[in-house]
Amino acid sequence: MKAPKSSPRVKASKMERANYKWIYLFLLPTVLIFLMFYFVPIIQVFLTSFTKWDGFNAPEFNGLTNYINMFTNSGFTYALKNLFYWCLAGMFLHVGFGVLTAFVLYQKPRGWKFTRMVFMIPNVISAAAWAMIYRFFFSDDMGILNSFIRLIDPNFHVQWFYTSPWAFWAVTFTWLFYAVIVTLLVLGDLMNIPQELNEAAKIDGASGWQLVRHIQLPLCRSAIGTSVICTLTSRISMYEQISLTTQGGPGDDTMSLSILLVKGITDYRYGYANAIGVLMFVIGLIILGIVNKAFRMDVSDY
Amino acid sequence: MDKTKKILTKILLYFVEIFVIVVSIFPILWVIASSFKTNGEILSSPLALPSSISFEPYIHLFQEYNFPVYFLNSLLAAGISTFVSLLFYAMGGYVIAKFRFPGRGLLFALFTVTLLVPGHSRTQPIFSLITQLNLYDSIWGVTVVYLSAGMAMSIFVLKAGFMAIPASLDEAAGLEGCGFFRTFWSINLPLAKSALSTAGILMFLGNWNEYYFASLLTVSDTQRTLPIALAFFTSEFSYNYTSLFAALTVVVLPGIILYAFAQEQVQASVVSSGVKG
Repeated sequence: MKAPKSSPRVKASKMERANYKWIYLFLLPTVLIFLMFYFVPIIQVFLTSFTKWDGFNAPEFNGLTNYINMFTNSGFTYALKNLFYWCLAGMFLHVGFGVLTAFVLYQKPRGWKFTRMVFMIPNVISAAAWAMIYRFFFSDDMGILNSFIRLIDPNFHVQWFYTSPWAFWAVTFTWLFYAVIVTLLVLGDLMNIPQELNEAAKIDGASGWQLVRHIQLPLCRSAIGTSVICTLTSRISMYEQISLTTQGGPGDDTMSLSILLVKGITDYRYGYANAIGVLMFVIGLIILGIVNKAFRMDVSDY
Repeated sequence: MDKTKKILTKILLYFVEIFVIVVSIFPILWVIASSFKTNGEILSSPLALPSSISFEPYIHLFQEYNFPVYFLNSLLAAGISTFVSLLFYAMGGYVIAKFRFPGRGLLFALFTVTLLVPGHSRTQPIFSLITQLNLYDSIWGVTVVYLSAGMAMSIFVLKAGFMAIPASLDEAAGLEGCGFFRTFWSINLPLAKSALSTAGILMFLGNWNEYYFASLLTVSDTQRTLPIALAFFTSEFSYNYTSLFAALTVVVLPGIILYAFAQEQVQASVVSSGVKG
């Protein structure tokens, strides 16, 4: 977004300056919320991440100790490793499935509007409730998945959320296919492709697959980039799906940064918790930078 | 050759469609159906439909437990925070859309860049802030935190909404003697209805469903919102499956109903909240 052009030579009109009082009054609530909940917290998180702080006594500067502790903690190593795998799954499987669905719906098969409608439902439900639905879904005694499997093999018993290595996949399944945001973003870009472009390609002899591969897919590049960013940032802050199912277990199989951060706060290790917060922030920025570059999102197509 | 290709494509299309529909609604239908079954039925025949429909578990839920309180808490926290922050962000979005003043570009950039901050990274300062305000373990503390949710998306959507309203209307209003506030309140606000509902619905849904901050900021039973209550309920009554499924249904249905009435806005708002990224 560009800043408005207000060259210093053109003085604001008298009318406009008379309005300044109102203008800043109107901005005041938003500015206050911004300061209270974003600006000051972010500064505080950065500064106190270099301190030992329990929330009661004054923070004590301890240099990089929190960061060193973080990287030598085995739970943290697991959290990073999981985040990496979840990011891969998010980027390729989750976004891939969302894009596939968008292309399917773009062909407007029968029932495409209905499909688009119901795809959104898991997204309007509390992530906490969704995590619990999946906990029951994968439960051994009453879960529907094992009931299905027992139709074939009556002696089948697996506690999906509580045994390694299944727990990691069970947690992954709670979000993997719910890619409606990806689908809507990509579908929006697809619908914006001028019809003449598709026609022209067909006249030039492009097959359906070539049309998808060389015309349509490149044109929704920026929607796919946005989707990748959305997906990866929600991987960084994924919490309910883990906290309400495995709580990071078994062992540290499904550990995540947000679980460790909350543990830091409940253990009154505020400095340590904030170091994790800083790391989340930095990982988010790195992802944003890489994806922006990789998808050339600042370049317009038309 | 061409014909088999066409048929294969058709099969692929319908396969994906059916898969999407099944993963999206089957778990929910299963939960709703199970809430009408007895404990024994849930364990012995999880795939069957309930043998009879009885609302007993729901009545039980609302009479024996604090569910009316949780429901009210959720409604208060999500409703009030959405209403207040919508008004605040509309005021902010309005002046950013329609006036020139020093700091305009900077403020807009700052407000929208908040989107890139992972919400969880601000946990400790917000936790401490609410404790200092003496709002820890109170539904009002949760409400205050929700005020800040959805700032970037709302400012973005509302600014676009106000920019679409022609400036000539403001000038006409000025000539008629409308002051700054009247021009905003009686002329612009009603015309920005669709942007307001888009931002409002997304914020309400987000706050209604929020779990993270509500779980960190409340401990007592009377201050819990529905998602928190649900989490406690499932750990305390893990043997009573019928009640569990009924409780899940109660938490899940309001969002679905709201969505059913406002599909267009929800879809538009989700897309616009993605576009900002």
